[in-house]
Amino acid sequence: MKTYFRELSVLVTLAILLVILAIFAPHFYEWQPLLSRLTAQVPALILALGVGIVMISRQIDISVGSQFGLCAVLAGTVAANGYGLPTALAAAVSAGTLMGALNGWLIAGMKLPSIVVTLATMVTWAEVLRLFQQGKFVNLPAGIQWFGLSQLGGQIFLISFGCVTVVVGAHFLKTRSLGRYIYAVGSDAEAARLSGIHSGWVTFSVFILMGVLAGLAAVLNLVQSPQVDPKCGVGLELRAIAAGVVGGIAVNGGRGTLWGVFVGLLLLSTINPALTFLHVEAYWEKAIQGLVILLAVVADGFRVRHHSR
Amino acid sequence: MKRSQFLTSLLAVPAALLFPSCNKTDSAGRKLTIAFMPKGKGNSYFIACEKGAREAVSELGVELLFDGPTNTDPAKQNEIVENWTTLGVDVIAVACENTEGISGALKKAQQKGIKVVTYDSDTTQDARSFFVNQATPQGIGEALMDEAARLCAEEGEFAIITATLTAANMNEWRKFIGSRLASKYPKMKLVDTKPCDDQKDKAQSEATNLISANPNLKCIMAICSPAVPGAAEAIKQAGKAGAVKLLGLGLPSENRAYLKEGVTQSVILWRVADLGYLAIQVANAVANKSLNPGDKTFKAGRLGELEIEGSSIILGKPFLFTKDNVDQFDF
Repeated sequence: MKTYFRELSVLVTLAILLVILAIFAPHFYEWQPLLSRLTAQVPALILALGVGIVMISRQIDISVGSQFGLCAVLAGTVAANGYGLPTALAAAVSAGTLMGALNGWLIAGMKLPSIVVTLATMVTWAEVLRLFQQGKFVNLPAGIQWFGLSQLGGQIFLISFGCVTVVVGAHFLKTRSLGRYIYAVGSDAEAARLSGIHSGWVTFSVFILMGVLAGLAAVLNLVQSPQVDPKCGVGLELRAIAAGVVGGIAVNGGRGTLWGVFVGLLLLSTINPALTFLHVEAYWEKAIQGLVILLAVVADGFRVRHHSR
Repeated sequence: MKRSQFLTSLLAVPAALLFPSCNKTDSAGRKLTIAFMPKGKGNSYFIACEKGAREAVSELGVELLFDGPTNTDPAKQNEIVENWTTLGVDVIAVACENTEGISGALKKAQQKGIKVVTYDSDTTQDARSFFVNQATPQGIGEALMDEAARLCAEEGEFAIITATLTAANMNEWRKFIGSRLASKYPKMKLVDTKPCDDQKDKAQSEATNLISANPNLKCIMAICSPAVPGAAEAIKQAGKAGAVKLLGLGLPSENRAYLKEGVTQSVILWRVADLGYLAIQVANAVANKSLNPGDKTFKAGRLGELEIEGSSIILGKPFLFTKDNVDQFDF
């Protein structure tokens, strides 16, 4: 109970928000728009899970939005040239793996700080994409949207896929040795090293995993509409990091769960529609999201002080 | 620099002897050089602009220098203007990212005898001789509101999706949308205005929420280009095609499929290629002094006679793309 305190408090906040919506804006629960809203969050969820793992290992990756955009346009271009969705997925995941490997090599191999490395790759991939795509949308052929299923089928598949990924990911982190190494390296890299963990390889694997997830998330986004917007990744890194922070992932590593990331993202992505449904002016959206993140960070600060006493 | 100017003039002498009466060249017999800058090269809007510019260039037989920031970047624009000033081009035509920010660099160019015109978005008035205006904010705002009213039979609720709540040009349009609404369409009501951060996917989420939160919504007006296909996908997924009308300011190529499916009713835009074409025509006329301050009209090649308001040359009324004419355009 105590170990999941943060996840539960976010869940309670979310529940309060949902009750307010049920009372004042029952339209929020119409199932079709609800399904569309949830489906739209699946790519961000996959990305946020990756960023969560990166943060647990005491690193950060702010290049994920750019990776996402590049993978989306690449997969879209492959699909638009008639190679089909499996090839597009393979292309996106390969590109993500390569970009993740580059980050991982610079951070784990060259021992450079992740914030600087991923800032550089964030800008680089964004510019490469702009140069390559010139801001144009990619129009996808028929049969790509919803994997060629019906809209409802596609949405249910995507939402289930997101939920299964959370369960599998959380299980992996808790029970597999690599999962435990990630926590160990994130808590204290030196202690981890002394106990025989090769922290460099752990960090490298984490960034590779991040790249793979970015490629996967890009494809899960691509199947939701008949066009790819090359700007689709802009700002996603901040949403992913915010979801982790709100969900209780410690910014200085070693602590947090993927369940936290999951509820954190659910809360953040409910605030925006809630404002529309409660007819609050759009000016408040970013301020309220900022406030929620600030509260989460302050809560962390209190917990750290409490522990150190 | 001095040396290269000297070399150019050396080359120009025989050219002048060879073509003494060619009106496409200046007194030194050198072809007129027009430097043309978009806000960002990686933007389909400005790619269409460039197409029109190149058309005018080949029509007029002038030299074109084309450069701009890859991304929208005001500092980079200044840098390019400074390079062109050093290079000594004849005219600079620029779409300004930052009104104030670029004026210093443009004034320096003017001091060196380079003519400056702006297009798409203006700098301060003293830093250029003419501004080629695609449409006045009033023209755009009123065209949007009139078309929305037509689609809704002048009655009912509508919502706006914009890029950001701080985008100056869109706020200006929204102001005119509001005043047109107040003065002409008393039975219509603007229920909400949402920003989409200039992203299609965010626009789709916003539209999904707007449709579901406002059950009486009759129309969505998307005033930044990615918002139009984004809102269209939301309407389509909600199964409200036709029940919730959609109009917007965008590129025909990004909306063709939705227009044909009947999800999007109208897309409003000026003919972007014509904007580039007109900018080059004006730049050329300013350089060879056939267009001077105080003129009331300007004859712009295939565009015919255009009106001049103060020092703004206006391209004309916004154009309405529908499912019937969208195939005639490729930008």
